[in-house]
Amino acid sequence: MHPAFSVIFFTVTSGAGFGLFTLLAILHVFGLVDMTQETVLWAGIIGLVLVAVGLMSSTFHLANPKNAWRAFFRFKTSWLSREGVFAVLFYPFALLYLLGVFLQGAEINGFFKAMGILGAILAVITIFSTGMIYGCLKTIRQWNTALTPANYIFMGLALGGLLMVSALSYQDGADVMGVTGLTVTLLAIAALAKAVYYFWVAKVTGPTINTATGFTRAAVRLLDTGHTAGTFLTEEFGYEPDHSVVTALKTLVFALGFGLPILLLALVLAGQAGPGMALWATVSAFLGIIAERWLFFAEARHVVNLYHGAQHT
Amino acid sequence: MSALPEFENHKKQEIHYSTCYMCACRCGIKVTVEDNKVRFIQGNRNHPINKGVLCAKGNSGIMKQQSPAKLPGPMRRKPGTERGAGEFEPISWDEALDTLTKRLEHIRATDPKKLAFFTGRDQMQALTGMWATQFGTINWAAHGGFCSVNMAAGGLYTMGHAFWEFGDPDWDRTKYFMMWGVAEDHASNPIKIGLEKLKRRGAKFVGVNPVRTGYQAIADEWVGVRPGTDAMLALSFVHVLLKNDQFDWEFLIRYTNSPWLVVNTPGQKGDGLFYRDENGKPMAWDMDKDAAVDATQPEIKPALFGEYTAPDGTPVKTAMTIMAEKYLDEQYSPENASKVTGVPAETIERLALEMAHVAFKETITVDVEWTDVHGRKHDKFVGRPVSMHAMRGISAHSNGFQACRAIHMVQILLGSVDVPGGHLAKPPYPKHIPPAIKPAKEMSPNTPLKSPPLGFPKAPEDLVIDADGNPLRIDKAYSWDAPMANHGLMHMVITNAVKGDPYPIDTLIFFMANMSWNSTMNTKEIQDMLRAKDESGEYKIPFLVVADAFHSEMVNFADLVIPDTTYLERYDTISMLDRPISEPDTAADSIRQPILKPEGDVRPWQEVLVELASRLKFPAFTREDGSRKFADYKDFIVNFEKEPGIGFLSGWRLDENGNEVHLRGKPNPKQWERYQENQAFFAYHLPENTRYYRFANKDYLELAKHAGWVGSTDPIIMELYSETLQKFRLAGMGLYDGPMPTQEHHKQRLRDYFTPLPEQYKPLEQSRINEDEYPFHAVNQRPMFMYHSWDSQNVWLRQIMSQNFLYMNRQQAAEMGIADKSWVWVESHNGKIRVQVKLMEGVEPNTVWTWNAIGKQSGAWGLKKGANESTKGFLMNHLISELLPKKGDANDNVTNSDPVTGQAAWYDLRVKITPAAPGEEGSWPTFDTIKPLPGMKESPDVLRYHAHEPVRLVRDMKDVLTRGEKWRKD
Amino acid sequence: MRLGLVIDIDTCVGCHACATACKQWNTSGTTGPLTDYRPYGENPSGVWFNRIRHYEIGDYPNNKTINFPMSCMHCEDADCVTVCPTGASYKRAEDGVVLVDQTKCMGCNYCSWACPYGARELDRESGTMKKCTLCIDRIYDEELEEIDRQPACVITCPAHARYFGDFDDPNSEVSKLVRERAGMQLMPELGYNPTNRYLPPRLTTPIPTDDVRKTDLISSVKQWVNKAIAR
Repeated sequence: MHPAFSVIFFTVTSGAGFGLFTLLAILHVFGLVDMTQETVLWAGIIGLVLVAVGLMSSTFHLANPKNAWRAFFRFKTSWLSREGVFAVLFYPFALLYLLGVFLQGAEINGFFKAMGILGAILAVITIFSTGMIYGCLKTIRQWNTALTPANYIFMGLALGGLLMVSALSYQDGADVMGVTGLTVTLLAIAALAKAVYYFWVAKVTGPTINTATGFTRAAVRLLDTGHTAGTFLTEEFGYEPDHSVVTALKTLVFALGFGLPILLLALVLAGQAGPGMALWATVSAFLGIIAERWLFFAEARHVVNLYHGAQHT
Repeated sequence: MSALPEFENHKKQEIHYSTCYMCACRCGIKVTVEDNKVRFIQGNRNHPINKGVLCAKGNSGIMKQQSPAKLPGPMRRKPGTERGAGEFEPISWDEALDTLTKRLEHIRATDPKKLAFFTGRDQMQALTGMWATQFGTINWAAHGGFCSVNMAAGGLYTMGHAFWEFGDPDWDRTKYFMMWGVAEDHASNPIKIGLEKLKRRGAKFVGVNPVRTGYQAIADEWVGVRPGTDAMLALSFVHVLLKNDQFDWEFLIRYTNSPWLVVNTPGQKGDGLFYRDENGKPMAWDMDKDAAVDATQPEIKPALFGEYTAPDGTPVKTAMTIMAEKYLDEQYSPENASKVTGVPAETIERLALEMAHVAFKETITVDVEWTDVHGRKHDKFVGRPVSMHAMRGISAHSNGFQACRAIHMVQILLGSVDVPGGHLAKPPYPKHIPPAIKPAKEMSPNTPLKSPPLGFPKAPEDLVIDADGNPLRIDKAYSWDAPMANHGLMHMVITNAVKGDPYPIDTLIFFMANMSWNSTMNTKEIQDMLRAKDESGEYKIPFLVVADAFHSEMVNFADLVIPDTTYLERYDTISMLDRPISEPDTAADSIRQPILKPEGDVRPWQEVLVELASRLKFPAFTREDGSRKFADYKDFIVNFEKEPGIGFLSGWRLDENGNEVHLRGKPNPKQWERYQENQAFFAYHLPENTRYYRFANKDYLELAKHAGWVGSTDPIIMELYSETLQKFRLAGMGLYDGPMPTQEHHKQRLRDYFTPLPEQYKPLEQSRINEDEYPFHAVNQRPMFMYHSWDSQNVWLRQIMSQNFLYMNRQQAAEMGIADKSWVWVESHNGKIRVQVKLMEGVEPNTVWTWNAIGKQSGAWGLKKGANESTKGFLMNHLISELLPKKGDANDNVTNSDPVTGQAAWYDLRVKITPAAPGEEGSWPTFDTIKPLPGMKESPDVLRYHAHEPVRLVRDMKDVLTRGEKWRKD
Repeated sequence: MRLGLVIDIDTCVGCHACATACKQWNTSGTTGPLTDYRPYGENPSGVWFNRIRHYEIGDYPNNKTINFPMSCMHCEDADCVTVCPTGASYKRAEDGVVLVDQTKCMGCNYCSWACPYGARELDRESGTMKKCTLCIDRIYDEELEEIDRQPACVITCPAHARYFGDFDDPNSEVSKLVRERAGMQLMPELGYNPTNRYLPPRLTTPIPTDDVRKTDLISSVKQWVNKAIAR
């Protein structure tokens, strides 16, 4: 698949935003971490801004954005529609929760707490929906797996955790150890899930040029596509990344996306570094996960490529 | 069902019928028009050719009409600029016509042969040929010399009709169909319709072709023959049939010259000619009388085999004996043929026997009573349901004429010519062998020729040469270089005219012929020749007139540009006098009519020809008082009579009482209207008793004579053994009473290639180069969606293909270390090109091939700079010389053509292939970008053609909101 | 009613007539115009509903060339419709024809991702997804002769390799062809249950040659005895 920048940016930032909000609301509402009103508001706003920026960028890849408002209508069947609906639904709850914090300080009443928890649930559902947009496509075996939404959720939460630690690092005397530990765990789970994914995806399965054409008893080779120049299909689906680029980027995913952030947070846990180190860990993780997302698209091989001569996907 | 909107405003739309001109197939079209814009072009269901279907080209007619390369108006080369520089200035029609008239008037009054008029893929050769005849120049031909003459001549000199467009397989009855070559053909849609019919019936389809694409894709069996060896394959079939005693005795005895007696006096005058009686009648050996008798009489019992001594002591043999002796030889055994053709011996034997089985064990009959030419009644037509078709491939080899004859020989042995299930002629064919028109050779000022410039020589006396044996035609057709060049040698005109060999000319007119690009051999040098000047600074071709509808590579070289209309903007006839649209059981002709108003200041070329003919006062176009006879083309078509009762259109003529009759009759002033009312065509369905055995069918021959298709009702006797060829051969041996060549190479050509029975011989280019140095055969074909379509700039078609590749056998390429999509140099004795390779399975390993005429010169056809056609597409033409490979002998200056017919031998090409250096990419050679013409529209960057604003189908919002995953309403 | 096409691989010669007929009809049709990009320039491209691909089966010399037209399969389980967020993509309840409502499409390309057959192409000028309509603007047009109420590709096909009809009707020509000639679905394992079917190449029966094979082959002209056949 052609890796569209707007979609990479959208999924990473909105995932991080939803992840941050989810952790913020849970940790705050259940009092697992002491947070000041300021921290909650800042973290909340950052989360919402990331979500908003991400959602906005997702509309940039629309060829006919004037009809974007119609995207909420097919909630019944479309994960894309559901994602939109959940994302929009998330906002009133999230905003009410932050309004509570704004009005009542760090200690909010039950109503606002409920808003926070509902917002967190919707945030996770939204990330899940984002994952399912890709996960439900039978045409792309690299996506058509439960690992897809799982990866989206774990990486969203891991990025959220890093942002949470970073936010807490600005709060004087905040106890970041618990959150840091949680984030390290989330990063590790995300890394593991992604490793499982890469392992799983390397095994070729599914349709071949033989099943695509119906000729299953002999080699099938493309003679001519019937068009000299590219078409929408080759532009959209024909992208094939260089093998060395893929390997290099996969190293980067694990090094920058998971390895380095875990290492940096470990320094914090070990008292070798202050919580401010989380900022660097966050930057590193963003870079790594952007690489991961680029690979997620670039490595996806749509079955239509079989008709353009690919032997398998 | 929810109501649908009214998508089409039918009240605003008009429907017109006409004839397609996106290729040479000439299908009937039904055109829906609104606001002078085409909404839809579809096939006409009632039309005899296409029966409602339409090919990719026909369906792209809209884009032809939209082409920005349409010529805007008459133009001349800007005074003071160089030819080919592309500097033009618009002129008025008056000026264009005055200039041309003045020039032509002078030529006609002084030396008419100084005008050479050659036309391309037009469909009005009856008109252009007649125009040249009236002008008085023998220098006229169309593009058949590099297209189809081997097939036309091969057929017309053997069985009176031909493959190509003069005949078709009996698609409805054939049980075995063998297709030789043929990427696509004139009968584009009929072949497709026919193949499906025979597949549906379970008939077997065998494809003989070095390349498996297109039609061969759906063949039940693919025979990947080596290029240029088809004659060997066919003659090996003959060998197997003879060995197994599988041929149609009755057919041979009754309808062919195989029982005729041939003089057997080797080394003496008259050897190999038919033994004739005092009346000139050929003789056969009657078994009852045990004596030589007139072979053309009925009821004799001729011996098919035998050697006899005629009463005058002349030793004679039957033609069949000579034939059997020749082909029983081991030289033609499947084992030997396999070495030449690359086809396994067992395959050759099996295919021959399969055909024999189908012909003789699965014989069919059509129970219709018919009368033979001797008045005998028959209660049925007996059919041998084996049929064949052949064309490109066979045609463009220098041994193609004899290869074509060899294939016809297989058909005739099987008794499958013009019989049910066999290969059928299409009216006005079959004709007598050969058709009784002799090429004109005498010319005098202001005088029409006595016969058309092109005809059918029967003997050396018919050659168009002077007393010293030198060519009289500019293209050297009908000279010792190419004695039976029935279609001329268009591919030699520029070379010969520039060399002044045999003489310089003054004016060269090209119509619809891209002679500076894909329709010539040796493109780059031909372009230089068009620019060549003599010592005095005059162009060697002093005046070059190009008539075309589009901005072709050729237009760029014109001194005077005559802009033609598109096929949707003019009247036209597809005439029985020329190449009509008949099907085997239907005599048919058709018209075109203007459907759209032309945008530019353009005129149909046929109107220009009628205008020029009138201005030049050609006798056929001028009344006795000197005034013009025909107001315009329409008037000419209706009122011109070739002979009493026969005109360009055969439908709706008038009898003595003014009633409308068909085929023959007086001019009818309402004839155009009748064609318009009848969907632009006329079809005469032959009565059932005249549909087969037409070479000997009394009722058919009488009908054909009445309609002017044949000159006599004599039977048409198929010539397995060609006395005509033997006469030329004797001339080459110095044993002929008549003109004989003086140069040794001519003698040698006549001796080697004019064999009265077909032989396999090595294509001429191959015999003059080192085959080890150039190990690959290189051939090309046109893709179906562009075949004969001279506008591959068509926006839709060029999206399908705007770059061609050199296709190679995958395993062969792997051995040579050549990768898919890599760039290679392809080199012949004549030059080299750089091209991109594509690997495939379906090509014979010693063959490489490409799609022809995809490469275009930058800037031509409205193409923008950088168009794939000019940067990555290529022409094989650069590798092919119009002359034979140089060897330092007299043949160096002889055309690279079939030595019999002059057919351009562009399939004889041999090449070597070497990988290009890293970084060497893009096709080579490259050419300058042609400048746009004044007044031409700019080519758009985005095209959104539509005849009307779309009427959208809107989904109900309730449905959007309520529907689940299930689409069915429960 | 479940409308769709049957495509006969046994007779398709790969001429592209169906592709240009489709382009021609539909550029002025209900979802037209079908934009062409760089029509006279480098890498000309455009929106097409029907494309013909060419494949080779097997290795030389046991190879066969296959011409393979592809357009929307009007799937029974059309994921392109399921995934569409706006409702622009839909499968008509009346006849199963899958369409894109040009007034509702936002051009997100998602439906094209869900389509395994490459049937959908974005028109970059209108910003909307376009695809085969089965010539919905022909097949119900009562102003047309009944025989013309078929998709343009079917009407034009010179090799009679395309059939249009109702797959719900067991007696329709398409249903019969599928039954008689084992009409196959492409990539059935994906579970889209495409309506369009492809007829595989027919098997050919060998032609006997024993009855025309002579055991004592003729090697000389002298072996023939003339037959008394009257001319």
